[in-house]
Amino acid sequence: MASASALLPRPSGAAAWPQATSPNSLSSPINPPDFTIEIGELEWELSPKKKIRTSAYDGQIPGRLLRVTEGNAVTIEILNKLDRPEIVHWHGQWIPSDVDGAMEEGSPMIPAGGTTRVTFTPKPSGLHWYHTHTAAHRDLKLGLYSGQFGMLLVEGRDHPGNYDQEQFLVLHDWEPYFVNSDDGSQMVNYAAATINGRMLGHADPIQVKAGQRVLFHVLNASATEPHWLSLPGHQFQVIALDGRPVPTRANVDILRLGPAERISAIVIMNTPGVYILGEARGAFRDVGMGTIVEYANSVGKPQSVPEIRLRWDYGQFGDSSPSSYKPDVTVPLIFTSHFEGHGALARWRINGKSFPETDPVILHEGFRHRLVFNNPSTDDHPVHLHRHAFELVSIRGAATSGIRKDVVIVEAGSTVEADLVADNPGNTLFHCHQQDHMDAGFMALFRYV
Amino acid sequence: MKYLLLTVAAAGMFVLSSQTAHAQGNYEIQVYGADTVPPHSTMVELHSNYTADGQKRFIDGVDPTNHAEHETVEITQGINGWSEVGFYIFTSEQSGTGVQWVGDHIRPRVRVPDSWRWPVGVSVSTEVGYQRALFSPDTWTWEIRPIVDKTLGRWYFAVNPALERTWHGPDVNLGIGFSPAAKFSYDFTRQISGGLEYYADYGSITNIASLHNQQQQFFPAIDLNVSPKWEINFGVGIGPTAATDHWIIKGIVGRRFDWGRNKGQ
Repeated sequence: MASASALLPRPSGAAAWPQATSPNSLSSPINPPDFTIEIGELEWELSPKKKIRTSAYDGQIPGRLLRVTEGNAVTIEILNKLDRPEIVHWHGQWIPSDVDGAMEEGSPMIPAGGTTRVTFTPKPSGLHWYHTHTAAHRDLKLGLYSGQFGMLLVEGRDHPGNYDQEQFLVLHDWEPYFVNSDDGSQMVNYAAATINGRMLGHADPIQVKAGQRVLFHVLNASATEPHWLSLPGHQFQVIALDGRPVPTRANVDILRLGPAERISAIVIMNTPGVYILGEARGAFRDVGMGTIVEYANSVGKPQSVPEIRLRWDYGQFGDSSPSSYKPDVTVPLIFTSHFEGHGALARWRINGKSFPETDPVILHEGFRHRLVFNNPSTDDHPVHLHRHAFELVSIRGAATSGIRKDVVIVEAGSTVEADLVADNPGNTLFHCHQQDHMDAGFMALFRYV
Repeated sequence: MKYLLLTVAAAGMFVLSSQTAHAQGNYEIQVYGADTVPPHSTMVELHSNYTADGQKRFIDGVDPTNHAEHETVEITQGINGWSEVGFYIFTSEQSGTGVQWVGDHIRPRVRVPDSWRWPVGVSVSTEVGYQRALFSPDTWTWEIRPIVDKTLGRWYFAVNPALERTWHGPDVNLGIGFSPAAKFSYDFTRQISGGLEYYADYGSITNIASLHNQQQQFFPAIDLNVSPKWEINFGVGIGPTAATDHWIIKGIVGRRFDWGRNKGQ
């Protein structure tokens, strides 16, 4: 049976979900936590001319980078200073359901004004993140429309590659509003965009030297927007997707990141100058998505990317040979929308039903499940599976192997197949990571038997 | 953007008349929505209106409207995220006269950007143009048209309380005329919306015409949203007052061209 909470509609943070008890008894100085996160309201300056009010972690955007070590248990104390319940999801971590940070799985919410602690053993290594997992619906101040997100870097035994410096870039869109879209339903658009909380031209430049190898860790923390990132005159050597090393370290001119996707890539600094590392699309750069990369002893106006083809293929990072594994179980998952009016958001369905009515997907421990993501709709969907990673098997019919992710964009009108080995028992949430889609029913619970 | 496609072009029947001057209207019958054409995109529309039962006599040298077929080409270019410019070519065809050029108008428009997050869509257009005296004794006219619209779930509402002024012709001394238009519709499906459109000309704003002399038209109409690139509207109009053409059939077919700029976005 699914838990009772999993059968409830998805509230915007109200008391329908179980909440942590004994909110203040956990702050014992005898046993201090490894990290403390305070959730609160703040006024934040995207640029000197643009300030916003939002909620965030520890009074900054993005939240602090948390560095932890794979396999070493960590305790995190979370103080919720907001007047509504909150929850923090540890995105990409293979941890138990009760600390994963999703109400639908049974993780308790943190009451308004309350405090809780979570303890888990970080796994797997790589670039991950933590963020609110509350619903927003039509309140565009909530959920991932807010500033509640930060990076989580899990250090592992495997060295991610030789590099001279590390840079962390978190992409986000701000000041959301509803607009009518081509597909007939409403969608969310934004008036501002940032990298690391600052609009283009309003952050300190990234200083590099000729010949350096710079490892960029990039996270798209946007609530709904995919982003395309480029650095004129340079290529990215992609070494990891969603924190997992890729079999083929391909060089690319442009990075595509759907909401919640992460890319770790090395850039060899071999073309001195001053550049804009930012959105490849001018419309997004114009509202702030970019940052300056400045070589030592270089001056001048930052160069932006010229017209560039927006092209991305996960398969270029995979093994050339297809997966030799045969699935034990095949799980078809068909994504469709239901029209609710030109002045409303579409209702989203998985196999014909919207959450919480979606049928649970049954997982058999130790079995290889082939998830067949079939998207006949006209929207792309960055689908995410909690507490696990899956291995891409085919994209639009083209076989691949060796790419392990926890988010994959299933483009409109396409099918993606991915293998999931069920090795982490417990309720597991599957959903589109677009906030407006997950709020509109694009969710299902995977349950072990 | 859906409503860019449904209601972007739009509006009213230029200088329908006044209490004293008779004119052919019914060249472009549509209620404006607040959206504008996106930047770097062009909307091309053909407005086809047929007067099944209209004015049958020459009045003040103006051709009758009965059985007149009016074809209007409207080309609207998006300038930026909050403005556009539209250009109209009006033509008329009647038995015995062939296709006649009627006149041209130009119509810049600005709107409140979506990013201001107003609870309703708001824009203002102003339209200036010339029409031949054979079709309207008022040859130079000007209009300002506030536009307010709102989409609520499956419902759509729009109102256009337009004000008009004649610059050259018999109505010069009549001052400002009031010609409101309004629309509501309901989305039956993603592709099909149906509703009622209303167009009127009350005459001078300082001297409202009697009901007998007002122009009033009601158009049950449907919008077909078959593709983001196409706009299709069809309606049948009923004019209940003596000063109004009694039956008009209207259709609009529009095609949006984004010149490839939206690929991969």
